[in-house]
Amino acid sequence: MNPPTTPTDITDITRTVADIAAGEIGGGVQLAADTDLRAVQGVDSVKMLRMIAKIERAFDVELEDEDVFGISTVGGAAALVEQALRERV
Amino acid sequence: MTTIELPWSVLPDYRCFGCSPHNPGGLGLTFDPHPDGVCTRFQLDRRFESYPGVVHGGLVGVICDETMGNLIVLRRGRSAFTVSMRQRYVAPMLIGRPYTCVARLRAGADGGLFHTTAEVLDAHGAVCATATATYQPFTLADARARLALADDELAALSAALDTTALDTTAPNGA
Repeated sequence: MNPPTTPTDITDITRTVADIAAGEIGGGVQLAADTDLRAVQGVDSVKMLRMIAKIERAFDVELEDEDVFGISTVGGAAALVEQALRERV
Repeated sequence: MTTIELPWSVLPDYRCFGCSPHNPGGLGLTFDPHPDGVCTRFQLDRRFESYPGVVHGGLVGVICDETMGNLIVLRRGRSAFTVSMRQRYVAPMLIGRPYTCVARLRAGADGGLFHTTAEVLDAHGAVCATATATYQPFTLADARARLALADDELAALSAALDTTALDTTAPNGA
């Protein structure tokens, strides 16, 4: 069961993931679905894991470690969230 | 913020490594209400060191497990055994620094199991570790054979648990 405010559409998921990632990076960074997060200045492995922790909490999902370490873009993270939400239903 | 009294406190000599005040080798964790569930604040010394200056990861697991387990006790009035727990270490936690562990109940309880999450945050609110876990509730009577409790202790603890749940309707009992 999804909390009422949890988006399930890939467009909305992508927007939420981008907002979370931008908030974690800070500095008003603008992120597109295909932005390479690991290439953004100031993003290291800890920052990536903090983004993932916030994303997992926002959507109440658990992402696999192998998938987490393969994430490079907002769109990639959003696709994993969408898949996790679909598998939960 | 007020520290919540644990039902185990009716046992004068309980020795839980995580939350007993009577175990000199333990962590002596105490729990406070939190808008999302319950939380505990802690700062570990070098007895709990792993790499130089870094808190041993196993202890982080203990603290998350302890906070999530007591969340179920305090918010649902149920004692529960840990069935499984996944820990993710986000950033090294340092000896001598203050941290807070916040535990929440997840939606979607099934088969009588409780699903929980926990986050360990540093003094700036940054996530250092996360955990998810599943717990199986039990009655003291059913677990009697596995617990070292005298009859009077069992009765006192059962009575304490019956009056512990702060709110069994809200998602996190808030």
